[in-house]
Amino acid sequence: MPNHSPCRLSALGIVNALGVGAGEVWPRLLDGEPSRLVDRDDLAPERRLRVGAVDAPLPRIPERLAAYDCRNNAMALSAIEQIEEPLARALRERGAERVGVVMGTSTSGVSDAEEAIRHEFHAGRLAPKFDYAQLEFGGLASFVADYLGVRGPVYSLSTACSSGARALASARSLLALGVCDAVVAGAADTLCGLTASGFSALSAICEGTTNPCSRNRAGLSLGEGAAVFLVQPGHGGVQLLGVGESSEAHHMSAPEPSGAGPEASMRGALADAGLPPEAIAYLNLHGTGTPLNDKMECLAVERVFGSELPVSSTKPLVGHTLGASGAIEAAFCWLVLDRSEAGVLSLPPHWWDGERDPEIPPLHLVQKGESALLRSAPRVMTNSFGFGGNNCTLVLGRSL
Amino acid sequence: MRTARVLRWSAWAPGLETPEAWRAWVRAPAPLAPVGHPEARFLPAMLRRRCSPLTRIALTAAWGCVEEGQLGQVRTVFASRHGSVNESIEMIEQVVRRERLSPTQFSHTVHNAQAALYCMAAQNRQASCSLAARDDTFACGYLEALTHLEREPECLVLYVMADVQLAPRFAALVDEPESSYAVALLLGRAGDGPALRFDLDGTQRTPTPRWPHAGEFLRWLLSDEERLSLGRFHWARC
Repeated sequence: MPNHSPCRLSALGIVNALGVGAGEVWPRLLDGEPSRLVDRDDLAPERRLRVGAVDAPLPRIPERLAAYDCRNNAMALSAIEQIEEPLARALRERGAERVGVVMGTSTSGVSDAEEAIRHEFHAGRLAPKFDYAQLEFGGLASFVADYLGVRGPVYSLSTACSSGARALASARSLLALGVCDAVVAGAADTLCGLTASGFSALSAICEGTTNPCSRNRAGLSLGEGAAVFLVQPGHGGVQLLGVGESSEAHHMSAPEPSGAGPEASMRGALADAGLPPEAIAYLNLHGTGTPLNDKMECLAVERVFGSELPVSSTKPLVGHTLGASGAIEAAFCWLVLDRSEAGVLSLPPHWWDGERDPEIPPLHLVQKGESALLRSAPRVMTNSFGFGGNNCTLVLGRSL
Repeated sequence: MRTARVLRWSAWAPGLETPEAWRAWVRAPAPLAPVGHPEARFLPAMLRRRCSPLTRIALTAAWGCVEEGQLGQVRTVFASRHGSVNESIEMIEQVVRRERLSPTQFSHTVHNAQAALYCMAAQNRQASCSLAARDDTFACGYLEALTHLEREPECLVLYVMADVQLAPRFAALVDEPESSYAVALLLGRAGDGPALRFDLDGTQRTPTPRWPHAGEFLRWLLSDEERLSLGRFHWARC
């Protein structure tokens, strides 16, 4: 049995390279083609990078919130706008003081800070539209709260690439603590020169499209996007059933090669949900396509689940959206559950070149068109691992 | 459960480097010095070499707050409004000049760098979180620490709030006392230490003290005052 009260992810807003809104994202997720990634040569010096950019125009930040006017907040707003009606209803019914905001980000408004400093180099002062609220991590959650009129607790989590998953974990705990009756939780991250140059310097970015779990994998493809949920107490719909967390105590940028940290977070999430490994119908891998990540993650998955569980990395479709990836991949799991019909789960395929790595256990990588037949209520899992060895695993489920 | 006990505390600021110095400070609080950092000699040399002033300050307070045998056992929450932003700005300048970045500097400026280095130095494999919340960073970090007690009531949570003075380019854009400091609290559901109830009231605003919220919390913790309010956030002794 789960050791916590029921927690419902009751509305989803999502934006990434696959599109704006669940209606665009879901069919393209199942199509499983990385054709929406684009090549950009403006992000890192002397490099052309294939990235998952959001090409749709983003909403304008309202004039009254001009201090927050940056691309990362516009990305979050694109997701928020999709669920504005249920969010407004929650605020009306629960009261602004009883609603919280927890958002994950690893970039905040760095891309706009780059513009502001570029302007300073030419004009001698920061670009006039720049405000520190765009750059500081707390600015993302504050923007969301000020936009919606939320007056409960408001904070941004930033644990690199596990930030978005952690935001959902904290939202559930804020409900359990009785501090909030509803929480707006999710994450947003934006393509910028800093992360493109930084991951390039770490030799972590591949040429072309990331190729997770292949013997030819050579690194990640960057992406951008946002996913935001309304998190409320109670049964029904898609539930956040389990949270598992661990630290690796190993290295700032490289995972510990045995996969002990991810194994602990996956086992922790199962224990928190009160479920055996057999109850999980699908796992969305962290699956960055770096040589170290995929090997240690697959070793850990094989120890926890064996090799029959359907798994996929969706990063070839949207790029690695860094701090947003935990929320975006939780959103993909949410869509898998929400769109399930008559005991059949349609699963996001694993795009790769099909060349197995003899050093990686042969997991069941989901093929295009594949679905899972269910004998019990569907439960799925998603992994997120961040720099500094910060791991978070979530289990989502719904009743039949 | 919004009640937790403060089992231990520790703090560091330039010139306030011992518990006795902080006890004197809480009797006559004054603005903290803006610049300075400790050596943090307890850290292994390999790790210490790469530690920023913020990391040295945060981990010095952390180490002072946890008994050696428990360093690897506690869950950790690290809060910082600015985090590694001064180092990030240096890198942003390099990006704008189209220069190559140092991979080590890049990986050490994530917001969870202090948490990660703590876990490495303490060989701690427990859950860890890092956050920021503008003016409310201290209170929201405290609340995030409570969420970890909610997830695992038997555990202890080490909560560290730390910041350093912001680089001049942005300091003028931020209205707050410029200080370099860390305050660490060891929180648990049971044990020896004052039990505090935490509450949130969306309507009240209190004036900003001339020192960081974390310092004001410490002043209150060591006083005999019943209640503390920092903005919309309130603590009361049980």
